[in-house]
Amino acid sequence: MKSRTRTLIIALIGFWLVVFGVLPILLLLFASFLGQDPEAFFELSFSLDAYRQLVDPGYLRVLLRSIWLAVLTTVFCLIIGYPFAWLTARLNRRTRMLVLILLMIPFWTNSLVRTYAIRMVLGTQGLLNTLLLHLGIIDTPIRLLYTDTAVVLGLFYLMLPFMILPLYATMEKFDFRLVEAARDLGAGFPATFRSIVWPLTLPGVLAGCIMVFVPTMGLFYVASLLGGARQLLVGNLIHQQFLNARNWPLGSATSVALIIIMALMLCVYWLFMRNLALRSHQP
Amino acid sequence: MAPKRFLQTICLCTLLCAFPASAAEKVYIYNWTEYIPDTVLRQFTAETGIEVIYTTYDSNETMYAKLKLVDDDGYDLVVPSTYYVNKMGREDMLVALDHELLPHLGDLDPNLMDRPFDPGNVYSIPYMWGSTGIGVNSNEILPETIDSWQDLWKPEFKGRLLLQDDMREVFHMALKIKGYSSNSRDPEQIEQAYQLLRELMPNVLLFNSDSPRLPYLAGEVSIGMIWNGEAWMAQQENPAIVYIYPQEGAAFWVDSFVIPKGARNIENAHAFIDFMLRPEIAKICVEENGYATPVLGAIALLDEEVRSSPVIFPAARIVENGEFQTDVGEALPIYQQYWEKLRTGQ
Repeated sequence: MKSRTRTLIIALIGFWLVVFGVLPILLLLFASFLGQDPEAFFELSFSLDAYRQLVDPGYLRVLLRSIWLAVLTTVFCLIIGYPFAWLTARLNRRTRMLVLILLMIPFWTNSLVRTYAIRMVLGTQGLLNTLLLHLGIIDTPIRLLYTDTAVVLGLFYLMLPFMILPLYATMEKFDFRLVEAARDLGAGFPATFRSIVWPLTLPGVLAGCIMVFVPTMGLFYVASLLGGARQLLVGNLIHQQFLNARNWPLGSATSVALIIIMALMLCVYWLFMRNLALRSHQP
Repeated sequence: MAPKRFLQTICLCTLLCAFPASAAEKVYIYNWTEYIPDTVLRQFTAETGIEVIYTTYDSNETMYAKLKLVDDDGYDLVVPSTYYVNKMGREDMLVALDHELLPHLGDLDPNLMDRPFDPGNVYSIPYMWGSTGIGVNSNEILPETIDSWQDLWKPEFKGRLLLQDDMREVFHMALKIKGYSSNSRDPEQIEQAYQLLRELMPNVLLFNSDSPRLPYLAGEVSIGMIWNGEAWMAQQENPAIVYIYPQEGAAFWVDSFVIPKGARNIENAHAFIDFMLRPEIAKICVEENGYATPVLGAIALLDEEVRSSPVIFPAARIVENGEFQTDVGEALPIYQQYWEKLRTGQ
């Protein structure tokens, strides 16, 4: 009985993955090799045009800018998320739960709605500018909305929990006696951090970075709501190709490029983790 | 079966069939954002019992792509600009209208009927017409200093402009500055316009064509392109917003009701079009949207203040100085290609 339930569950998950994971990706791959037709969405013929357009300098620049913004977002998330997760892990059990719940609560609101909320904060007549004007810190409103800064800020705000949670998961298991031992042996804070804390939390850091970096490049609505006239993220490019330009092959090829970047990063992560495991087994 | 029993059964069956059918009367409308006042939609449902399912788009391109995608189970009514009426008609995407079902048709402005983009109004009935000009917040910028499209290129507006997210309207500016027709099909002229627009890009803060008035009202922009109706609506909230007809000529456009192939409620769509052509309904649309109507009877009903507003009803010489958008045929992909280059910052 138990094994039948298990088979059923595995079959369900397998079915889910095939229908909503594998098949769409195969379709995407298929579409990316089709010819282009300005009247329809594609033309049923084999063509590498989409990939040729993809390496066009203009497109490449959007791709690079997108990667750069994602890197910035990831770095900011790490700088804030790391100490946050560390302090949370050191709290007593009840306060820790409270902090984690507070971290999760914003997820109950749709991220699109939260992005609109950021607009209200950053606008020329928004909360932040009004506050700064009242306090006399600035004389004229600062331009925040429709800038790259606003996009990175929005991405940072949306993605921070994805950095904190994997970090917290590693740090929760961290044996804090190691820090005390290091201190007893005369190591200062930099040495303790460099040779004990950082290496032992590195898996969490890597997992967090991947969980932030990869989705960031696709969050097109953040860039379209907070960003200005320039198309910033690969996600915007894909959105544009599918919904406005009716160029499905190019949109698909861009998606495939994004998937490849993602896969490469996962490979790096996997290799690193394997190395780490091998090393820890050595005497 | 006794005749009485038989009758009862028939009645019951009819009731059973009829009730859900009448409750399910629907019309699927796909329209520009903020283009039909809610009160008008509610009144239509109250009068006819036809439920309106209303969705919006912010560019002709989005609308066209969506129609192609949903193909034969889609919308009953869309409102493209003239050059898309032409394109969609040519591509056999539209249903020929039944003029018998549109008794109010006779009351429309003859100047806006039977135009080259749809001879005989086979596929389309004009809904509203308007213009794209320059919007200025007079608290920030002296409106007297702005009188042409060229002014938007001034270096002092770096990172401050709002442009419509509309390919043809943005190209209109550059083509007009160069002295060409904004319906140019000449690849060389289009390329020159593109080069000019590239120089404008550093001045552009954002593209918006859902509600361009909102960034003006929120103080995000104080100068840029705007539709006359949006400027009119903005003025109701903040009189400092001024609408300027540029001396090179504003872009004029007409948006028309069309019924796409694949519409399932063609009769309801006709009923809706005719409802919108009633003078008292068209009057509400002018007052709320700030665009001009082709319904002549509605113009007579308007308050003097609205009727004499140069924002909604420009003088004849301003219309002559501007240019109405028409189909550009095979040049459309050329525009599209340059437009994409502009948007990706090339």
